[in-house]
Amino acid sequence: MGGTNGSGNRRTVEKQYRELMEYCQVHLDQIEETLPEPRESFQEGLAARGISRREFVKWTSFITGVLMLPPMFRPMVARAAENFNRLPVIWLNFAECTGCSEAFLRSSYPNVDDILLDTISLEYHETLMAASGKQAEENFKKAMTDFEGQYILVFEGAIPEGMDGKYLRIGSEGKTSKEIGTEAASKAAAVICIGSCSSFGNVQAAKPNPTDAKGIRESLGIRTINIAGCPPNPVNFVGTVLHFLMFGALPPTDSLGRPLFAYGKRIHDYCERRSHYDAGEYVEEWGDAGAKRGWCLYKMGCKGPYTYANCGKVRYNDGTSWPIMGGHGCMGCYEPGFWDTMAPLEKPISDQAIGVEGVESKVNTVFATLAGLTVAGVAAHAAASAIKRHGPEEETKKKAEKK
Amino acid sequence: MENKDTAMEKRIPVREWTVPIRVHHWAMAISIFFLIVTGWYIADPFGVSSGETVHKFLMGEMRYYHLLFGIILTMLFVWRMYMGFFARFHANWKNFLAFTDWKNFVKQIKFYLLVSNERPEHVYLYGPLQALSYIGLFVMIFFIVITGLILTGAGYDHGLLGLAAWILTPLERLMGGLAVVRYVHHILTWLFVLFIIVHIYMAFWYDIVFKEGTVSSMINGVVFKAKEH
Repeated sequence: MGGTNGSGNRRTVEKQYRELMEYCQVHLDQIEETLPEPRESFQEGLAARGISRREFVKWTSFITGVLMLPPMFRPMVARAAENFNRLPVIWLNFAECTGCSEAFLRSSYPNVDDILLDTISLEYHETLMAASGKQAEENFKKAMTDFEGQYILVFEGAIPEGMDGKYLRIGSEGKTSKEIGTEAASKAAAVICIGSCSSFGNVQAAKPNPTDAKGIRESLGIRTINIAGCPPNPVNFVGTVLHFLMFGALPPTDSLGRPLFAYGKRIHDYCERRSHYDAGEYVEEWGDAGAKRGWCLYKMGCKGPYTYANCGKVRYNDGTSWPIMGGHGCMGCYEPGFWDTMAPLEKPISDQAIGVEGVESKVNTVFATLAGLTVAGVAAHAAASAIKRHGPEEETKKKAEKK
Repeated sequence: MENKDTAMEKRIPVREWTVPIRVHHWAMAISIFFLIVTGWYIADPFGVSSGETVHKFLMGEMRYYHLLFGIILTMLFVWRMYMGFFARFHANWKNFLAFTDWKNFVKQIKFYLLVSNERPEHVYLYGPLQALSYIGLFVMIFFIVITGLILTGAGYDHGLLGLAAWILTPLERLMGGLAVVRYVHHILTWLFVLFIIVHIYMAFWYDIVFKEGTVSSMINGVVFKAKEH
């Protein structure tokens, strides 16, 4: 857009942001009154864990960037973070490996994300809570009635639907995961799915899917925010919850329920090794010269071109590294059905198999054979035609006579 | 067969292909050829190990020409569809219904399998099997163009492709993600290779068997039919 038009646009955008800011302030005032009192003050918690005010302010800049908001929203992010531990959360673990919880709770040294998740007001989390048995179930019911319509429901894990859901029954009452999920979701303010299992089914739902596992959205038929990934980045979860606190609504998503601020662009488009891809510099083998020089992992089966994720921008483990930086290609774990669609994980897509189960082979092998057969076929046809049409004179003459 | 010279005399030129059809055919042939070559590189690239990264742009170039010819193929597809429905000359879509002529369909198969020597009379511009295979070709072009556009525009919601994002993105999800789209694109490429082998062979076979100038007809537009007795 040209000069004059550009400044006009900028004014419109600035006006929109100011209005959004006012809305955000009103909303934060409101939730500060209505949300339950925190168990510990967030700022005190930060100080106790050795995070200075300056580090906290730096972190708000980072999260504002992740949420794709302009810098003027930093104070709002800070306010939302201060109220983070007042938001009641019920965390349900279904068919999963608890890797997502692990990814969120463990880190080399705590940063602000970790402290947010450490001090989060978890009313119910099967792995972390002290209660067990009957007591745990009472806690669950109490949390659901006390914070009805207020709590964030987090799902970790898929729902196995086979055998009427009997593959997964939790607690002394033997309720199936689907029953528990339906009940908890009906009273929640918002439902967030953590990880690819709860989002899309993940490895449980991979072929042949013996337990008929399904993602929450598909199984319960409710609207969810899917923080897909195996494991997902904690920053994306924190960002989603902060967005909810700031604006009272979940962030805009793509058609798969993944927040656009995190899942809007492909890994390939942000990849630090992209220039090597365009240059034609590829790692041909693990540990070869190219690998040492940080070349593109496309030929080692990197699925970055098919995966929508912000891994390369946000990175894992306090922004230390991420798979491609570590020298292994992307496996596409943020995408639905990646065990099937991205397989073989360390080979390019052109090495994928084709055919029915049992009799399958590489696409290239199958079609190269078909092409060979076609060439052989036309050659045979040519030979047959030559013999038939240009055979001995007499035969052709006979035919001519017949006519 | 009789003497060659007398055979030549008996033939009369018949205009079979109009100029737009011929231009379209060769534009399609060239773009498909370059698309297969560049697509092959994109699917299974060979690395360039010598030299500085900054001076190299092989994959970038390949992708550039692949997208360029891809867009050309898209336009050619649209153009052919337009001709099929609105052209005043011999390019009507009804010609693709030649396969509904079941009698000739069976005759044609027998003729191709060298079982019978009777050449079926073509009521339409194409033979029954030819019509069927060209319908298949258009279906293939349609799907390879659609999957190609999905792969090109993935994650970009601006520009011309952004205008089509409202249909391309749901299609991408429906197919099961970009990896599946890419897989289908790869398989379709192979189908083009198979088509080209048979297509070129059949053109030459016709040329040799009937001596009507089938191959050159796509350049000068004229076939030399045998005179009626």
